[in-house]
Amino acid sequence: MTTRVILEAQLRTETGKGAARSLRRQGYVPGVIYGHGEETRACKVNTKELERLLTSGSYESTLIELKLDNGDTPRVLIREVQVHPYRSEVLHVDFLAVHRGEKVRLEVPVRLDGVARGVKEGGILEHLRHEVEIRCDPDQIPEALELDISELGIGDSVTVVDLSTPAGVEILSDSSVAIAAIVPPAALKVEEVVEEVEAVEEEAEPEVIGRGKPAEEEAEEQEQ
Amino acid sequence: MLAPKRIKWRKQQKGRVRGKATRGSRVAFGEYGLQSLERAWITARQIEAARVAMTRHIKRGGKVFIRIFPDKPISKKPAETRMGKGKGNPEAWVAPVKPGRVMFELEGVSEAVARRAMELAAAKLPVQTRFVSRSRGGL
Repeated sequence: MTTRVILEAQLRTETGKGAARSLRRQGYVPGVIYGHGEETRACKVNTKELERLLTSGSYESTLIELKLDNGDTPRVLIREVQVHPYRSEVLHVDFLAVHRGEKVRLEVPVRLDGVARGVKEGGILEHLRHEVEIRCDPDQIPEALELDISELGIGDSVTVVDLSTPAGVEILSDSSVAIAAIVPPAALKVEEVVEEVEAVEEEAEPEVIGRGKPAEEEAEEQEQ
Repeated sequence: MLAPKRIKWRKQQKGRVRGKATRGSRVAFGEYGLQSLERAWITARQIEAARVAMTRHIKRGGKVFIRIFPDKPISKKPAETRMGKGKGNPEAWVAPVKPGRVMFELEGVSEAVARRAMELAAAKLPVQTRFVSRSRGGL
């Protein structure tokens, strides 16, 4: 059930932004390993290997066996990835060490299966929630929670309560939260209305609620 | 066009758009996004032009999310006016955009359609952009 991957990592002693930048220049991503009852350890992983893992699918729900250079092989989950705001560059990665028999809380993706009846009729599928929070044993982490939407018509929606969970997995997200909905295709109609409204809007100035001078008074001042 | 309904003050100082977008730099609502790689003031007209270009291309399918809002008034002095005599009248509304900001998002369309729609929208904007998708998480 749980997807497992092996990733090589090296422990590091040098910390701080200077050391982190130098690591990135050498083709490594600085990271940190922490977990319940464990001492926090700084590490580094190969950038290319990490990027391959991050772009291969749902990395949040992938159990990773970290092969450390000291022979240790902790089982970890990726808890956080820091990515540059606009460059394709991973800046830092957080690994959460998990233990056998100790349940973990994590977010797993929700995958929608099938083509909804409403979409075939011309409706638009809105995927409102892409992830749900679950609690389970590290060995039972599902790669994703699947939801069949083929029976959904226009105006229908599915919520967290409709998700079928594998044994041993408990959903923590609010059961009433909508995951997906099929809405009528209003795009074209709305556009026509908006264009009509635009002409009016362009003239109208927003209402001033501050203590600033009223527009007329100011206009008079400028004329003087 | 987008504009605030109520404002506290009619005119604002220019200010500077400094730094990178630390918030609003990931795809949050849809599946695909158009991210700015430069800093600029995006006017309400440009936002509207980009939105129209996108909705026309995706036709009836899909949903467009606009993640920037022009809430900064820009004043301008009338033509052939001598300097002085106070600040000009508000003429436009702009959204200050930093590099990294996801400005538009699309949902409910294929990647190929989304790419083309974003390309058409990008042509209406004064900044260099890049296409981003949720599945790649900013990479």
